[in-house]
Parts: sequence; structure tokens; C-alpha cells
Amino acid sequence: MNSFQRPIGEDDLHAYVDGFLDAERRRVVERYLADHPEAAARIAGWQRAGVALREAVAWKAQEPVPAELSVVRLVEARLSRRTARWQPAAAVFLAVAVGAGSGWFARGPGMPRGVDAVSMEAAIAYRVFATDRMHPVEFDAANRVELVAWATRRLGRAVAPPDLSKSGFHLIGGRLIATPQGPGCMFLYGNAQGNRITVFVRPMHKIDVNAPMRPVQAGGTTGFAWARDGLGVSLVASTPLPGLQKLSDQVRDAMSPET
Amino acid sequence: MSLLSRLEDSIPSLRRYAWTLLRDPAEADDLVQDCLVRALDRLGTVRSEAELRPWLFAILHNLHVSRWRRQRRQRQVAVADADADVAIPASQPAGVEIRDVLRGIAALPEDQRQIVVLVAVEGLAYAEVAAILGIPVGTVMSRLSRARDRLRAFAEGHERPALRRVK
Repeated sequence: MNSFQRPIGEDDLHAYVDGFLDAERRRVVERYLADHPEAAARIAGWQRAGVALREAVAWKAQEPVPAELSVVRLVEARLSRRTARWQPAAAVFLAVAVGAGSGWFARGPGMPRGVDAVSMEAAIAYRVFATDRMHPVEFDAANRVELVAWATRRLGRAVAPPDLSKSGFHLIGGRLIATPQGPGCMFLYGNAQGNRITVFVRPMHKIDVNAPMRPVQAGGTTGFAWARDGLGVSLVASTPLPGLQKLSDQVRDAMSPET
Repeated sequence: MSLLSRLEDSIPSLRRYAWTLLRDPAEADDLVQDCLVRALDRLGTVRSEAELRPWLFAILHNLHVSRWRRQRRQRQVAVADADADVAIPASQPAGVEIRDVLRGIAALPEDQRQIVVLVAVEGLAYAEVAAILGIPVGTVMSRLSRARDRLRAFAEGHERPALRRVK
């Protein structure tokens, strides 16, 4: 240890690793490390672990921020808590703000049609209901029979939540969704990791009565959408989970009329 | 407005920190959302942009402590056996060292994990970390040493989750 210097302590070693030392103190620490191979190995290990740690968690900060965490949206929610009469304006503002942000909702002049409309409705339903931890569904999985009967009656055709348990997703429940084309139904699933996906269905009218599966994305959600035999379907998740396409294939096969 | 846009800029790192605390994407985002709602209510008390980030982490930490304590206890029991708990998306490239360090971070006691993430990942100063966690700087430094030695052991493959090195 250099006799004229304040002794090197652990605090100096951390500050060296974290870049908090001034140039002079830094040189002192570097001389110390040159004389003390064991300390130098320890510091090198700290640095390597730090680099690995930063790399290991970097993806999380690079993910698109989910819509429910958008500051604009939270400010709007805060305003509408205070003045309920703001709400219609807030809804329009939100649609415009989200559309501007994602470049997706406001596709072309006028409203999206066909499967595009289905995937938009599914994305909105996901963001409004699937993220709700308190009361996301009207019928829970224990009332599956009632859910199926009710959805079938309201949609005017047989619909039932497909079994996705082989892929680790269990049914949480379902609810009716209002769309410009009439009632739709959203089935909500969760897995052990706490991820939530939804399967949204509604009857198709004239446009896209059959349409091949395609990937879809809307501010903060991602998934697949298709139509078969007059039923539009969109599978939606908040993050691009691995295996989403396989899951969509499974849903498509399960929801086809039995042959 | 500039504080508001700074707030927005901080969301990705708040999500990252919340995820390292909870390692459940939905719960982490719930925590961040609560934090942002709280922050928006009190944004007027922030005097400078430099204060904003540590202030946000302090709100997040306090919410985590007060509202998530029970779940956290249950989680720590579950962590002991779980490689799955440190799973990162398959789309993310992950070398051996990264997997090891993820196991290491999961194996750390929460107080050490918080400190090493706030320092090494979020780049906060020691005094800021002490203020966020409500503990003396000396405690931050000693826990940081233990955390870094432990992570180093994992990253260099000297330690497996089942083994505890005696210090």
C-alpha cells in the first residue's frame, strides 16, 4: 500500500468499478491493483459480473412500454377521475394519441375492416380487460358452461374457449365485448409465469369471411388474427411470447367446425 | 412538461428494476403503474430533473415494500428451486455467463439484489441508493461487496444455486 495515500478501502474499489472516482484517486487505485493481484482479480470479476448483469436485463428496458403505462394515458385517467364529464373527450383523445403512437389504429381513411377490425377490437379488449387484475371477466373458468351458452346465444353461433392447457395456459374466464359489428367474445388465459393472453372472436360480415392467419401488432399488444367460416379470431398477448404462433395454430384448429 | 417527459423516459428502467424485483412481467408492470400514478400525484414536489429518477425509484421501492411484502415472501421460498424463475425470453441471446449471473441475482437476498441492480444496472450513486432504500450508505457498501462477490462467483461458474459459499 502506498504510504502517503489514504488507504484503499472497499468503497474505493466499488467507486473504481462504477466510475465515481476522480482521476487522481483512480490512478492510486490502479497502482494498488497492480501491486495486489488478488484484489485485481476480484475487481475484474466484479466488472465481468456487472457487464453480464447489464446484458442479462437489458432486454426488459428495450421492450415497448405497454399502453397502460403511457404517461398520457395515466394523466387522462387522473383527469377523468376528477371530472367524469371529461370521459368522452378522453376516449377520443386516447384513441388519437394511441393511434399516433403506434401508427396502427388509424390505418388508411376510415375504420379498419375485416380481420384488421377484428385484431383492433381484440387489442382494445385486451388492454381494457386483460390487464385488469381485479375483475377482468364476467364468467370465470368455474362457470365455463354458462360462459359458452351465453356467448353462443349472443354471437348467434357456437363458440367455446379452446383448451390451451397443453401449452401451459389455463382459462381464467370470458366476457362479452361490444364492437361496431355487434357482440364479440373475449376468452382470457393465464400461465404459471403470470403472462396473459386472450382469444377474441366475433362473427364476420361479408368482408374476410375467410382470411389466412397473419401476425398483428397494436400499441403494446402483439398476436395473430384470421377468419374461418365466418368467425373472426385474434389471439393477443402483451409481449411477443415465444410460441405465440404455435398457440394460434392450436386455437385455429380447435375452433374450426368439427369434421 | 419537461419533468413529465423525463418521467416518461424513466419508465423503461423502472420496468426493468421492477422485473428484477418480481420477475413476473404482469406484476412488475402493475407495480410500475402504481408508482407512476403516485408520482403523477406528487410531481409538483420534485424540484429538479436530477432528483426525479432517484425519487421515482424510492416511490417504487416503498410501494414494493408496503404492498408486495406478502407475495415477496412466498416468492423467495419458490426461488430456491427454480431455474425457470430466472428464465429470459428465448428470443434473447444468452451466453453461459449471462445465465449464470441471472441465477446469481435470483439467489441473492433481496436487499443485496436491490442494491447491486440499482448501482450496477441503473447507475445510481451510493447516496441515492441509500436514500431510496432508507438505509445508511455504509450498509449499502457492505451489502454491495457481498452481492458483487457472490455474483462474481456465479459468473465465473464457481457457484451453483444449491451451494452456499461460506464467507
